[in-house]
Amino acid sequence: MVTTRVRHKWGMVVDLDRCTGCQACVVACQAENNIPINLEQHFLQRRAIEWIRIERYWEGLEEAEKTGDLSKVKARFIPILCQHCENAPCEPVCPVYATYHNNEGLNVQIYNRCIGTRYCVNNCPYQVRFFNFWQPTWPESLHNQLNPHVTVRTRGIMEKCTFCVQRLRKGGRKEVQEGKRLDDKEFDAQSGMFAPACARACPTDTLVFGDMNDPNSRVSTMAKDNRNYKLLASIGTEPNVIYLKKVDLDASDAATH
Amino acid sequence: MELTRRQLLKLTGLGLGGVLYTACTYDLSETRVESPTHIPEDLVAGLDTWYATLCRECGASEGIIVRVMEGRAKKIQGNPLYPTNTGKHRPGCEGALQALYHPDRLAGPLRRMVKGVGQSFEPTTWSLALEELSSQLAKHQSDPRSVVIITDPLRGSAADLMQRFATSYGARHVVFEPAEQTVLYETTKRLYGSEQLPHFDIANASSVLSFGADFLSTWLNPVGYMRQYGQFRQGTGRKRGRLVHVEPRFSMTAANADEWVPVNPGMEGVLALSMAYVIVSERKGDQSAADALTGGAGADALRAFRPGDVASVTGVPAEKIERIAKEFADHQPGVVIGGGSAGAHTNGLFNLSAIYSLNLLMGNTNKRGGVWLNPQAPLPELRAQATATPLGQWQPLIDDMKAGRVQMLIVRGADPLYGIPKALGFEAALSKVPMVVSFSSFMNDTAVYADLIVPEHTGLEDWGNDVPQPGPGFQTVGYQQPVVREYHERERLQADRGSRGFADVMLALAEGLPKVQQALPWKTSREMLMDSARKLQGLGKGSVVAASFDRFWIDLLANGGWWDTSATSTATPPKPSALPTQRRDPQFQGAGAEFHLMPFASNAMGDGRGAHIPWLQAAPDPVTTAVWGTWIEINLGVAKEMGIKEGETLRIISPAGEIEAHAFPHPAIPRNVVAIPMGQGHRQYGRYAQERGANVLSILAPAADADTGALAWAATKVRVEKTGRRIHLPKFEGTVELPTQLEEGAIIKTTKPV
Amino acid sequence: MQERVPLTEREVNRDLLRPVFTTPLWWWAAVGVLSVAVAAGLGSALYLAINGFGVTGYNRPVMWAFLLVNFVFWVGISHAGIMLSAILRLTQAEWRRPATRAAEVLTIFSLLTAAQMPLWHVGRVWRIYWVFPYDFGRGIWPNVRSPLIWDPSAIFTYLTSTILFVYIAMLPDIAVIRDRATGWRQGFYGVLAMGWRGTPRQWHLQAVSGILLSAIILPIFVSVHSIVSWDFGVAVAVEGWHATVFAPYFVIGAVWSGVAGVITLMALMRWLFKAEKYIRAEHFDGLGKLLSVVGIGWWFFTLMEIIFSLYSKEAAEVSFRTLQMFTWPYNMLFILFFLTGFVFPVTLFLSRTVRHNIAAMFWISIFVNIGMWLERYMIIVPGLMRKQGLTFTWGSYSPGATETILVGSTFAMVALGLLIFSKFFPLIPLSDAKEGEVLRHEIQVGKVKVPAIIREA
Ligand SMILES: Nc1nc2c(c(=O)[nH]1)N[C@H]1C(S)=C(S)[C@@H](COP(=O)(O)OP(=O)(O)OC[C@H]3O[C@@H](n4cnc5c(=O)[nH]c(N)nc54)[C@H](O)[C@@H]3O)O[C@H]1N2
Ligand code: SF4
Ligand code: SF4
Ligand code: SF4
Ligand code: SF4
Ligand code: SF4
Repeated sequence: MVTTRVRHKWGMVVDLDRCTGCQACVVACQAENNIPINLEQHFLQRRAIEWIRIERYWEGLEEAEKTGDLSKVKARFIPILCQHCENAPCEPVCPVYATYHNNEGLNVQIYNRCIGTRYCVNNCPYQVRFFNFWQPTWPESLHNQLNPHVTVRTRGIMEKCTFCVQRLRKGGRKEVQEGKRLDDKEFDAQSGMFAPACARACPTDTLVFGDMNDPNSRVSTMAKDNRNYKLLASIGTEPNVIYLKKVDLDASDAATH
Repeated sequence: MELTRRQLLKLTGLGLGGVLYTACTYDLSETRVESPTHIPEDLVAGLDTWYATLCRECGASEGIIVRVMEGRAKKIQGNPLYPTNTGKHRPGCEGALQALYHPDRLAGPLRRMVKGVGQSFEPTTWSLALEELSSQLAKHQSDPRSVVIITDPLRGSAADLMQRFATSYGARHVVFEPAEQTVLYETTKRLYGSEQLPHFDIANASSVLSFGADFLSTWLNPVGYMRQYGQFRQGTGRKRGRLVHVEPRFSMTAANADEWVPVNPGMEGVLALSMAYVIVSERKGDQSAADALTGGAGADALRAFRPGDVASVTGVPAEKIERIAKEFADHQPGVVIGGGSAGAHTNGLFNLSAIYSLNLLMGNTNKRGGVWLNPQAPLPELRAQATATPLGQWQPLIDDMKAGRVQMLIVRGADPLYGIPKALGFEAALSKVPMVVSFSSFMNDTAVYADLIVPEHTGLEDWGNDVPQPGPGFQTVGYQQPVVREYHERERLQADRGSRGFADVMLALAEGLPKVQQALPWKTSREMLMDSARKLQGLGKGSVVAASFDRFWIDLLANGGWWDTSATSTATPPKPSALPTQRRDPQFQGAGAEFHLMPFASNAMGDGRGAHIPWLQAAPDPVTTAVWGTWIEINLGVAKEMGIKEGETLRIISPAGEIEAHAFPHPAIPRNVVAIPMGQGHRQYGRYAQERGANVLSILAPAADADTGALAWAATKVRVEKTGRRIHLPKFEGTVELPTQLEEGAIIKTTKPV
Repeated sequence: MQERVPLTEREVNRDLLRPVFTTPLWWWAAVGVLSVAVAAGLGSALYLAINGFGVTGYNRPVMWAFLLVNFVFWVGISHAGIMLSAILRLTQAEWRRPATRAAEVLTIFSLLTAAQMPLWHVGRVWRIYWVFPYDFGRGIWPNVRSPLIWDPSAIFTYLTSTILFVYIAMLPDIAVIRDRATGWRQGFYGVLAMGWRGTPRQWHLQAVSGILLSAIILPIFVSVHSIVSWDFGVAVAVEGWHATVFAPYFVIGAVWSGVAGVITLMALMRWLFKAEKYIRAEHFDGLGKLLSVVGIGWWFFTLMEIIFSLYSKEAAEVSFRTLQMFTWPYNMLFILFFLTGFVFPVTLFLSRTVRHNIAAMFWISIFVNIGMWLERYMIIVPGLMRKQGLTFTWGSYSPGATETILVGSTFAMVALGLLIFSKFFPLIPLSDAKEGEVLRHEIQVGKVKVPAIIREA
């Protein structure tokens, strides 16, 4: 049996130089995780739920306006999902332990425990927690698509990226059955069947998922890339999601922004 | 025994103590009704199965695997084995699930008893519907050209079947594609002597120079391109590639390019020739190609395109043209890609030919990091291709329809009423056809005019195969199998309703037509596919090899197809012919109007096919983050001058009509351009698409490329008027206008390339 | 002082018990109107609980707004009771006498109102009891690291001790009513009076427990609003909240708004219950003096908070402050806050004429609380709108009808509670008033005479 196996510590590397902002990861996550359909009204109310989202920042607007040269304008994309912080600010503030850290490095959310204080979302610096303002509903026929391995949440509770824990659990069960640690490839976004849906979809291979405890995994190797940084590092949340800097011909490396 | 008060108290105390003791030592887990301490996903329930098949949600038709539990499809992922997308997908691909289980999907054939739009449909059965179709086809056999079949572009066995059907019957087969690739095919044919679109080896290129082709969003095979783009940027063992993108609109490709070059619409060819001039005069290209392209005259032949002379017409400064050309030539291998709006002008073929000539000039054909010609399909019957019928050839058809020379119109996989420029009068012509048959599984704009709707299966329920176009550089045939039982199976079995596969219906119809039946020797589409599979097995090579056909068939379906990485193109491209020495400028319709109208395919919904899928309606446009509607990108400065705020309803007036859209003042769209996404403005198409936004295709002027007759969809000029109305533009981003990053602690950090 | 008229015990009893034994028409009218308002509030609360937060104006990222603002506001108001009673009792400030009961009762009702806010504020009201250590059997245990666990503990401790405090102080008065009451009332007050006969031993015990409770409550009073402030202070993710100065800042702010609330209440009592003889200008004068000190102290903290946060010149902080102070419409709110919360009251409180003008004091005290409500709003909402550097996600908030009605009705809840209380118990303590009469002294300090400080038994 695998009682002595080394625990996994899941992590992700996001290579910003690859991301095109295509939204494949966003839709993949919606499909995998039974995320309520975001109707027009939800966007207008600013209550759309996207466990992984693409933020788009403009740059060079002033220069373009000054010189009239539109080619100075840049749009930058960044996928943001739960950073699965080692030192997660969302966790201590939850009065009922509905969100906590598990022993594989995940920040997990227990839906049936959450009472909906929304304190955790205030205290998540990355704005990746989503509150169910409305009871999620689907037309009857679309129920056929819902993933039976993922709970359909109710209104009044918080939800967020789980690193597709249902897939990791299945991998874990296979490990128990086979009595050995699975190869990192099984969890890798290239073709692994237990990789999170977003990473598995990402056509540019921006999202690299894997076991940080395995020194040879793709994610561990890439996390050491010299372009690495952590989002809002100064808060000290110690995320398990590592970003690799966007490469820009015009970047002044001194002021790395 | 007498019980004293003291004793009573003692006993009560003891009793209480005992109860408390047992209560406190009781195993708590046994009193636990439900323990809300686990994330429910901790419990794994049931097993799932993944089946390989092909995606039918867009023209790329990629390999996917579908997760099935309890007979229902739950999730789509890319097929890691399939060569064109190697395990990955786009937002659009997930849509197949919601199409399958869409609440407004038609549950069976519908017949309109009284002719005319607005008259109600009545449910009918397949046997009645097929009977009627058969008798109509038999009736018109005497005048077969009065039967017209409109389909989407077809490839592989489906194209073969259609070709055989149409030829043997004598019917007209027209192919509809809103943003047709006619010009691109023609360019490939002329420059490379190939019917197959080429494969761009972006992954191994040092630089990519692209003109108009939004290949990182929707153009041709975006998943494959994005796959390669990832490598191109940060692949291991290579230096980071440089991408320069030329387009009048700030598309996703422009947003991701190292340098975006806004060019005056239609001037892409001139710009390309100017770069050719620089490369030739600096002697940086392939010398023999340069000689051939200039007729031996060298740079002199191209002097009409000297950067200084074309700077003003292209809108690109001379130094920039020179620099980009030199940088491109210095960073080889490189690929030049052209398409999209660059080919959608009246000088489309001129533009694309000039652009692709840069490839020839660099001598990058069939070289690592260059342009690879695609081989022919391995079997003759898989070579069939039904590519889009150029707009120029639609007019005679529409005239025939109006004149009553078309008795029967069969529409499949296309919504021409939605996509054809209004000015052609297709709508009026449609109501003149006595029998309109639609195969759509949704009530779409064309189906509204149908007399009979025979809903076909969705992609996940049907059989098929595909020869990808463009291919991955080697012979590839994808196979599509039903991964779930059809959703309306019960209706079909119990009430003879539900849906059927298009190919199966055509084969069934052939039975009543002896001539056609001869040409189509199969009973079912599965049989037809097995037939081609047998021949593939006979080749005895490639990714699936098996002694028994049963084994081969199973492996073929399990892998999602057959491919042979060693079967690359053997054709030698013809010697390049001389480049034009004179400019050919684009013509625009809508003289005097101040804005060029750039329609563009929506990142998630494409040309509108995906509009009925709520996931895709809700997938934010990457650049504007707009959702669920139609917006118009208008230059921020111009908007300020006109007093236009975000969300203001604008009226866009072209020579062909007008629509309304909501303003998105855009910081990076040229002052003389407005851009509107395709995809919305369906009259029907289910609850999520119906009457939502506006259809930009409907106001395109019917301009065409002078050489091929293809629709020049970027050649319309429009006026923009304020309506005085304003809404909140539904979009994903917050309420800060044009969010830029804060000075310090930036979210997206950048670094110089090493 | 000059207005004070000597009163006999008889007169005191008659005057102060009048509201208990007679019910004027205006009382019924007021109760009627307030009940309608309270019903509207509870109705919208139920509507919210049944339909969920979709019906409010809450959104991403402003997940705490009107209800939490109102929570902090009422907890703040609740601080006046203890402030006046305990501190003034311990320091034996003589002029406190007529003000204490009203202030304490205001504490009770504002706390009860405040405690409702988090209740309606959670997504699943029916699970709110999970914040109490109750359901260990099913593995539900509260997370003691969360300020949301500290909050209910602090508030319920505060509430319990305040009720005790009021009750003990009220015992002699209840006994007086018992002695005059007939019918069911006699039984009712009889039980409540717990056998009070006014023996020296009972008086002694009552006085000692009053002093003891005052001493015990003081740390609670400091802790309650400190803890409320930590709901915000510990939130590392919200720049506008994450400040060490919050605890003293909130406590002194609470005193500022709470004492202002007592002034409002005392003015109303004076008018409604015709208690001119008991609530006199000298009391407003005393409270006004106290408040001018508190107000300046509070403003000092406000400035400190702004200065400290801007000292680092962090971009996110700067943009939060820019929004809060200089961006429409928050700049208008900020100006309103600055004028009503600080400029008007503090300058006016410095004038003796104003302090002796009861109508003026009434309006100024209302101003203070408009300012203080806005203060909480300006901290909570813009703070969330400008969280961290994710400018892409920065948002805004405008309240929906549901939470607006609910918040509006909380004022009616408190008023209704006080009115109904006044029907059963005297809002001005009889015994204290009598004791004050007995121990009445004035001493000359320079040119003015001030109430004497007297040792209590
Ligand atoms: N997916 C799945 N399907 C299964 C099985 C499985 O393990 N998984 N197991 C199979 C087996 S072994 C069996 S036996 C069947 C059982 O299948 P069913 O007989 O359908 O069993 P249940 O769903 O347990 O209960 C039937 C209904 O009886 C109601 N009921 C309970 N008590 C009473 C009563 O006193 N009077 C009346 N009138 N109604 C009552 C219950 O509320 C429930 O609605 O399922 C079979 N199907
Ligand atoms: S990113 Fe936010 S939700 Fe995720 S662990 Fe960190 S603080 Fe918690
Ligand atoms: S919303 Fe739920 S998870 Fe978040 S703090 Fe409140 S109870 Fe905990
Ligand atoms: S890891 Fe899974 S849950 Fe998290 S964003 Fe990706 S797809 Fe969604
Ligand atoms: S799928 Fe990949 S490339 Fe596309 S937006 Fe997501 S992370 Fe970026
Ligand atoms: S790109 Fe098109 S064909 Fe490929 S998987 Fe996506 S929708 Fe399907």
